[in-house]
Amino acid sequence: MKRWTKLMVGAAAIALATAGCAGSGGTDSSNEQKAGQPRTLTVWLMNGSAPATLTDALNKEFEQKHDGVTVKYEVQEWNGIQDKLTTALASQNPPDVIELGNTQAPAFASEGVLTDLSKDVDKLNGGQWLASLKASGEWDGKQYSTPFYAANRMVIYRTDMFQQAGVTPPTSRAEWLAAIGKLKAKFGKDKQFQPLYLPGQNWYALLSFIYDEGGDIAEKSGNDFTATVDSDQAKAGLEFYKQLVDASGTTAPKDNDEQNPEQAGIYGQGKVAMMIALPWEVDTAAKNNAAIKEKTSAFPIPSRNAGETAPVFQGGSNLAVPVNSKNADLAKAYLALILSEKYQSQFAEAGMVPGASTDLSALDANPVSKAMADASKNGKSVPATPKWATIEAGQNPLKDMLTAYLTGAKDIDTATADANKALDAAFSG
Amino acid sequence: MSVSMTQTAQITAPAGSSPPAPPRAGRARRAGLGERAVPYLLLAPAVITMLVLLGWPAIQVVGISFRKLDLGELVRGEIVWVGFDNYRAVLADPEVWAITLRTVLFTAACVAATVLAGLLIAILMRHVSTTVRVAIQVCLVLAWATPILATTTVFQWIFDQQYGILNKTLVKLGFDSFAGFSWFSSGASTLTVIGLLIVWQAVPFVCFTIYAGLLAAPRELYEAAAIDGASAWQSFATVSWPAIRALVTLATFLSVIWDFKVFAQVWAIRQGGPDGESTTLPLLLYLKGIAGRHFGVASAIAVLMIIVLLVLTARYLQLLLRSREADVS
Repeated sequence: MKRWTKLMVGAAAIALATAGCAGSGGTDSSNEQKAGQPRTLTVWLMNGSAPATLTDALNKEFEQKHDGVTVKYEVQEWNGIQDKLTTALASQNPPDVIELGNTQAPAFASEGVLTDLSKDVDKLNGGQWLASLKASGEWDGKQYSTPFYAANRMVIYRTDMFQQAGVTPPTSRAEWLAAIGKLKAKFGKDKQFQPLYLPGQNWYALLSFIYDEGGDIAEKSGNDFTATVDSDQAKAGLEFYKQLVDASGTTAPKDNDEQNPEQAGIYGQGKVAMMIALPWEVDTAAKNNAAIKEKTSAFPIPSRNAGETAPVFQGGSNLAVPVNSKNADLAKAYLALILSEKYQSQFAEAGMVPGASTDLSALDANPVSKAMADASKNGKSVPATPKWATIEAGQNPLKDMLTAYLTGAKDIDTATADANKALDAAFSG
Repeated sequence: MSVSMTQTAQITAPAGSSPPAPPRAGRARRAGLGERAVPYLLLAPAVITMLVLLGWPAIQVVGISFRKLDLGELVRGEIVWVGFDNYRAVLADPEVWAITLRTVLFTAACVAATVLAGLLIAILMRHVSTTVRVAIQVCLVLAWATPILATTTVFQWIFDQQYGILNKTLVKLGFDSFAGFSWFSSGASTLTVIGLLIVWQAVPFVCFTIYAGLLAAPRELYEAAAIDGASAWQSFATVSWPAIRALVTLATFLSVIWDFKVFAQVWAIRQGGPDGESTTLPLLLYLKGIAGRHFGVASAIAVLMIIVLLVLTARYLQLLLRSREADVS
């Protein structure tokens, strides 16, 4: 008997030590709130999404319009947000409005944890929606989340270095490679100088090159996706990536992405002429080197066809209402307000591509956001499959493919075939 | 966190079955039911807390491993039983077997290195002057006290391809091929770095434990052995070893448990890369459960991990069960 007790205790200890997750769905509903009584609308937006001045005005206007309603506005961090949303959505009192990364949105939509907004599209300024973000909010023919704002990568460069080396912003791949050569010739004496900082795992840049070749990473039929990373177009995109890395002689790690180490910090050290980045990375770079902002501008990622810009990976955010929300009516009203022309134009002024406004003129004021606005017209997103969130949160086969090919661990056929297999497994898993 | 729980469990296990306090003389025969219940009542809070905190989650995990539990089921509170489907899916994946084997080998290597290093340092501490010993002890405590992720970050910097001090030092020493050398280009070398990191953090505990045992061996025995003309090895084998054998066993099995389920360091270094070559079972569990939101499959992996751990630590559990009759040593 006592042996058994001990064995059980030992087993339980090990069980607890190894077991990560055990969720039990407790149920305590019945705190439905009646209209007319004081209500609280909980809104979760992400850090860096909306400037505080905008949200302050927005929340104030919403509270004035809706008597007895308080907006509980909470800013969330991107790091670990998937886990946090998973637990929040499973609870009985989830937030009423949430912001989702556009690549994560299909995962939540397909699990049926978001409110169907199909009938409200018109009320939510639907005519102005950005097509790529609208697509990421759809699942099974229904609209589960709305566009919020978008951003895409472009080439951020040092105007002073370009001037000294006698190069102008390139408008084709050939010109881009030539510019790298000229910059190297001019500044190459400094061993720390890099014409283009490009780590091995910037898969957003790779997507752009693959799209530019006319390829894609997956093909859609119905709700299913088949990976197409082993296509000739994808291989050509991967080869161009390697060409860039080799031409620039970048010392960035081949086995890590643009966040590790943070590329903006390295650009900020002043020894890098170009990086493929998001507009706000300029501000990150300026944190340690305020002068660099003056000397920085941007151009869209050049295409293989002279004069065109390469299609870009459209990053961005969607807005959604959790299915367990007790205030779905208010939440929809809140969405209508934030997606109205008045507030969407303020997003453009803040340097983001608004999700529900086709008027991008406000972005022209700044050369960096102008470059982004130009490129955003040709934006594409990753496959709108619920499995994509798994790929991003876990081990991304595209990153593994890049590292394996760039380091020479695998040849291009093996690298792309392996990535294709891994993606297909992820799509079906 | 879970480490301390395991410790608690290990320590509490014998206590939970310790015999009731001997009845006080004189009143022994007249002890009523109430009095005999007292020790059990005193133990009850601890036992109940343990059952709630350790037992219930364990039962939950086993239960969930037989369910389909994705985000949708979790949100809707549905219970969908799928029998052995999760286990079948996990066991049918050849990758899982490769990962299991990798995890077992990795654990074995880490534990062997940890215990050996701990043992050697403990013996060393016995033989050096007080000043040196204190210096070693301070270093050990510092290594032990540094938060896991801080140490991990430092290791990442040391082994960084471009800016790492290791590559720079090697180049300065004349090994030019290490300029820009990537320590994380293959699974084996990535796991070696992770192993080093884990061993570095684990040695202090093992070392102090064994050192405590060494102190318990009376000095006179060493003197006697010396007089008898024993060599260093003989005096270690006949005097030191009996004093520390039980503690080395304990440290070994605790290390097995800790190293087998280590997650933070492995994930932080390369997220199981390159190309999944440093993925261990705890990472697989995370990838399936948190990243993939298949909590049922993740629970099945957790149960399999428990089984592997039970097999690995069977001998220790056996010793634990016997410890009533005779000491572990």
